[in-house]
Amino acid sequence: MLTRSAHLSRRTLLAGAAAAAAATSLPRVGGAQAAAIRLGTLNPLTGSGGSYGPSMRKAMEWVAQEVNAAGGVLGRQVQLFSEDDQTNPEPAVRAARKLIDVDKVAAIMGTWASAVTTAVAPLCWESKTFLTTVSGSDTITQLPHQGYLIRTQPNTHLQIGKLGEFLVSLKVKRVFTLAAQTPFAVPSQKRLAEILPKGGAETVGSVIYDKDKTTFRSEVDQALRAKPDMIYLNGYTPDCTILMKELFKAGYTGAKVAQGYAVNAKLLGSLPNEVTDGTYTATPSPSVESAGYKRLAKVLGTDDLDPYSCQCHDHISLVLLAIAHGKGEATGTTIKDHVRNISQGNGVKVDSAVEGLKLLAQGKAINYEGASGPCDFTESGDILDCKIKFEQAQGGKFKFVKLI
Amino acid sequence: MSVPLDEVAQLVLNGLVAGTMLAVPAIGFTAIYAVLRFPNFSLASHVTIGAFAGYVANAAGGWPAWAAVVVAFVVAGAAGVVTDQVVLRPLRPAGALTTAIGAVALTIVLENVVRFGFGNDLRGYELPIRRDWQWAAVRIGPQQVENLVIAVVAMVAVFAFLAFTRTGKAMRAVADDPTLAGLKGIDAERVARLTNFGAMGLAGVGGVLLGLDTTIDPLTGFRVILSVFAAAVVGGLGSIPGAVVGALTIGVAEELSLLSLAPAYRTAVGFVAILLVLTLRPRGLLGERAY
Repeated sequence: MLTRSAHLSRRTLLAGAAAAAAATSLPRVGGAQAAAIRLGTLNPLTGSGGSYGPSMRKAMEWVAQEVNAAGGVLGRQVQLFSEDDQTNPEPAVRAARKLIDVDKVAAIMGTWASAVTTAVAPLCWESKTFLTTVSGSDTITQLPHQGYLIRTQPNTHLQIGKLGEFLVSLKVKRVFTLAAQTPFAVPSQKRLAEILPKGGAETVGSVIYDKDKTTFRSEVDQALRAKPDMIYLNGYTPDCTILMKELFKAGYTGAKVAQGYAVNAKLLGSLPNEVTDGTYTATPSPSVESAGYKRLAKVLGTDDLDPYSCQCHDHISLVLLAIAHGKGEATGTTIKDHVRNISQGNGVKVDSAVEGLKLLAQGKAINYEGASGPCDFTESGDILDCKIKFEQAQGGKFKFVKLI
Repeated sequence: MSVPLDEVAQLVLNGLVAGTMLAVPAIGFTAIYAVLRFPNFSLASHVTIGAFAGYVANAAGGWPAWAAVVVAFVVAGAAGVVTDQVVLRPLRPAGALTTAIGAVALTIVLENVVRFGFGNDLRGYELPIRRDWQWAAVRIGPQQVENLVIAVVAMVAVFAFLAFTRTGKAMRAVADDPTLAGLKGIDAERVARLTNFGAMGLAGVGGVLLGLDTTIDPLTGFRVILSVFAAAVVGGLGSIPGAVVGALTIGVAEELSLLSLAPAYRTAVGFVAILLVLTLRPRGLLGERAY
């Protein structure tokens, strides 16, 4: 994919250049008197994250417009520089270099794929540029980022912790994991084994399988020999489809749970209801009841916002509020030093950057809670809490079960 | 560590079923090698084409499984003849390696043609999913038994064709010695076209067999090509009974490896089998005579 995308035609190049020029010039409308606050967006506009990137960028552009219309930050306008990471580390690094070296941005916001974030992060902390991301891999916040990184996506530890809580609430006793071979397979199993015994349940075994196989009969046999009453399918859509078929054929009648990105509407569409009925799914959920979410949903023209656009809305809000709180230069270091002063604590709860900036100007303390959730961060840059939505497949559709 | 006998029995049974399904495209792969002397990796996309042709017949046309198999054979076979004439035949004078590389490129193109038409979504055949039959501690699915029957029928047909028909004999003659066959007045080009049709048709049947038991997407063929290649090499590239023996060996070995290996390493069994056979018995278990 990398080599193929390298061959851009002149036409796409021109179109891309025109679009980029248009995009970067947008926030300039309104004119900047004092030097503008320069921020970068780095989203997957193309590649496998391409269905999310455009709306992530729109969310950030909207916040910048709102803030500029309300007078900017400390009297300065916000200027966005937008780049496409192509869901690919190599173009992402080139784009990040341009944002850091040429555009001199204080922060890069909205990287999506874990591989992209892992590649871009060292450039950021070395140049003291702040990085905000929606990537989920546990390893990202373990990088030596010196505080120049936060993420709003729950990591495996947090997600599986909630899943464990949910399973305990279902009163299941014996949980078996069938996991695709991925970086999160083993951490997930460990976390589940930690959390289940607290609620009187236990893990009775696990199998990590090669997701590219066409049949998993023996894996399913192995799972059934452990006599589980709950099977956690921790894979992707293609392998989960086959596993669910084979569990049904093997006569398994216990419960099943899977991640929402694996057991999705497409999977329900491709299997008979009798095979999928009763399966639970877990999806990190934005704060759908919050005013921030509802406002953004209206702007982006959808009732069902994806979590990443909500998180990007919060990224730029957090960055701008941190700069305002710092009252000095708009740099990555200022953001790093001040972001936790406005994201958590006992201040007035706010759900928009404009409102937060007003209160900060009045000398009040604030606690930003955005469209994606509470946005409280640990020292290493992970979020402390995130809501996970649990649903259950019934008759080929998902029904809401609970939010934890 | 003692291993329960019923577990071994189940694994061997699973392996035999998987091996039989693998054998059908493996026969196609080895037949092309026998006649045209190059590993045709574009078999992968023909497995996919067959799977989708069968899917259209079954899901859109409402045809039963056996009819879908016939459609898959014809469509994948025809696609095989066309792609060979247009893409691979002009490459053949440049040597087996060039043609094999061309075949890899061809398979990527064809896979994307399927993706262009059908998208990346998973599709399942419109068949009722039935619970397995259970005997003591061993289970087998009705669909697996049907697949087994279809695969065996296809294999018997291939053997009968090669043994008893004039064209089949001509094919074996070309595989044995193309020059001598030419002297006898056998048209090598015609035999090549026929081999392509039959071999890619079998690949298509393999695609339907895989799809009936699981789901299909544009990568269906790509996922099995390594196992197919391993089966052909283990049995002896160019030997049709060898492909069957190789496929059953790979199928059973992959399953039995689960007794001591984590399932994530199962794919490695195919590689290890290729490595062992090429080191110890380079001509494969049955040697390379076509029949």
